Amino acid sequence: MKLKIFLFCLCCFFLFGCMQNTNSNTITVWHWMTDRQDTFEKLANQYQQLTGIEVKFELYAPSDAYSQKIIAAAQARVLPDIYGILKEKEKFAVFVKSGFVADLTEEFQKNEGIWEKSLFAKALNVNRFEEGNIYSVKPGIYGVPIDVMNIQMLYNEKLLKKAGIGRPPRTFDEFIEDIHALRRIGVDGLISGWGELWLLDCFASNYAFNIMGEEKIMATYRGEVPYTDNDWVEVFRIFERLRDSDALFKGIVTKNNKYAEQDFALERAAFAFNGSWCVNVYNGMNPDLEYGAMLPPKVNPNLPMRIWGAAGSSFMVNNSSKKKDKAIDFLKWLTSERQQVFLSAETKNLPSNRHALSSIPEILSQFASAMDDITHPSTWKYNEDPLVTETFGKEIQSISIGERSPEQAAEEVQRIKIRQLERAKNRR
Amino acid sequence: MLNRFKAKSVIQSIFLHTLLMAVAITCLFPLIWMFRSALMTNETVFVDKALIPASIHFENFYLAWTKGGFGMYFINSVIYTVSVVFGIVMVASLAAYAFSRLDFPGKNFFFYMFLAAMMIPLPGSFVPLYVLMNKLHLANTRIGYILCMINVGLSLSIYILKTFFDKMSPALEDAARMDGCSKLGIWRHVALPLARPAIAVIVIFNTLNVWNEYILATLLLNDKNLMPLQRGLMVFQGSHSTDYPLLMAGLSITALPVILVYLFMQKHIIKGLSAGAIAG
Repeated sequence: MKLKIFLFCLCCFFLFGCMQNTNSNTITVWHWMTDRQDTFEKLANQYQQLTGIEVKFELYAPSDAYSQKIIAAAQARVLPDIYGILKEKEKFAVFVKSGFVADLTEEFQKNEGIWEKSLFAKALNVNRFEEGNIYSVKPGIYGVPIDVMNIQMLYNEKLLKKAGIGRPPRTFDEFIEDIHALRRIGVDGLISGWGELWLLDCFASNYAFNIMGEEKIMATYRGEVPYTDNDWVEVFRIFERLRDSDALFKGIVTKNNKYAEQDFALERAAFAFNGSWCVNVYNGMNPDLEYGAMLPPKVNPNLPMRIWGAAGSSFMVNNSSKKKDKAIDFLKWLTSERQQVFLSAETKNLPSNRHALSSIPEILSQFASAMDDITHPSTWKYNEDPLVTETFGKEIQSISIGERSPEQAAEEVQRIKIRQLERAKNRR
Repeated sequence: MLNRFKAKSVIQSIFLHTLLMAVAITCLFPLIWMFRSALMTNETVFVDKALIPASIHFENFYLAWTKGGFGMYFINSVIYTVSVVFGIVMVASLAAYAFSRLDFPGKNFFFYMFLAAMMIPLPGSFVPLYVLMNKLHLANTRIGYILCMINVGLSLSIYILKTFFDKMSPALEDAARMDGCSKLGIWRHVALPLARPAIAVIVIFNTLNVWNEYILATLLLNDKNLMPLQRGLMVFQGSHSTDYPLLMAGLSITALPVILVYLFMQKHIIKGLSAGAIAG
């Protein structure tokens, strides 16, 4: 008898599990952002009360599993109404060309472009394909940024004060002087996750923009300027100076950013190089941490310092969704000022709506104030060959631990660059 | 002479016990560390290096259970594990018995096909599996996930059981046949009871596999109410930040049933391994 009851319960359980929601008044959103699920659900409730439309946020994490699911769902033609694409722009372009992503240009430009103008243009550019883009995608905007991010330097206010430093450094020379002052009281200088090459590349790229400007960098990527050029050697020399002045935290070139974040949060170093997402991370690890954000101190006073920044996360609308219009309306609502302030306060991320900046916490405001100085590889006309970028990062790691001189590093990167240019020429 | 022999034996024993203790500590230390981290706060977890935390927070287990929504996920994981392991034992034992004891055309070909399936990593079959499940209208259903997981565990289980059945004496079968047993009867009354140690190995391997599985569940299931226990753990891991104490508390809750299954079945497992259940 007990077995029969058990089997009956099991059958009910399976049948219950087989039922699927096909409500036409429900929008389904797939995402990978575990830390935002609660906030998304709160917003979905507000939206349902306002419009009667149910928004179901379905979470799939970690991001690798999410990417797999998106690719599989695209092939099975069962993508949800709204989703995000985590992969690089090339994969995004494939999705657009396959007809999986709705072109939102017209929606953005409606009512004299009110929606487009409300969002950070540089964040929107991540989802934009320009005329004549290398991916042969029809020009347009294909995604909606729900938050933005940038990567800057951070300083520990308490440690700086302890070393008698009144304000954060503005020039690289001032920064080195501050490091000496910190070392005198036994405090470590700069920590970052430079075991992750992209973060190291980001730091070097900031200084490349400051030393030589965008045009010369793009010319280098095109193969018209060698890495052995004086300006590039100057970029490599930054790391030599950091090494020689004992500014780098022990083991910095092998550290993952997660561990680097712990070191800064636990006040083991006075400066960090990290993205705006760190506000949330540091808050979790040490809510009493007193710190501020600043642009990396300039080497060249004549050119601006450009930092990396872009859309933090973006949502795309399924082009074949029967609820496309409802999905777009929801995204418009989600990126409007009020919802963006709420999202930013709850998740401690930078809002994608520029009007929401006035109502966010102080530290986020400091990050946001640099939004006009941002750039990102995905918005550049040319990108460096991945192997050259990898060599570039590894050579900088070698300089940082004293295995290479800036000149040797420059020669090695140039050698790889020439090899890759020849390979590309042969392929053509 | 006797003293020399005794000294040698004592030295050997000390060496052996030191080695075993080192291995045991290596295995137990991560579990102990997980449990002590589960009793801390986010502020102390990176600072307090003591094995027993200065301030203990048992409420983390309650928070992990409620915040992670473990109630529903726990039931789901139990259903999936029991159904899949039962399915694997039934199908694998029947198939292994057929491969070992019956003669039919293409026997070796099919067996090697099963073995070849072991070489295909699960992520490699994600996309076709997802497309197939959608075509069969089995995506986002419990039965779809269970069938896929049974399929995942079959190859190794058939291989283990076939090796075991190959060693079974034909005289036992003959005796059963003379007593009027059919082929299915021999499988049910002779082969299966004898294969208990091998089945124990299969049960523990597959229990671990299904209990800890998450990637395939993420792929096939959309509804939160159908997800297994591992889904609850994801709540504590953000894109950039992690709530370590609650994650560790969640991991402790997740690990407990598997540890209990292992403790409950360890006698059979050791027997199964020493009886050559996975020999060959």
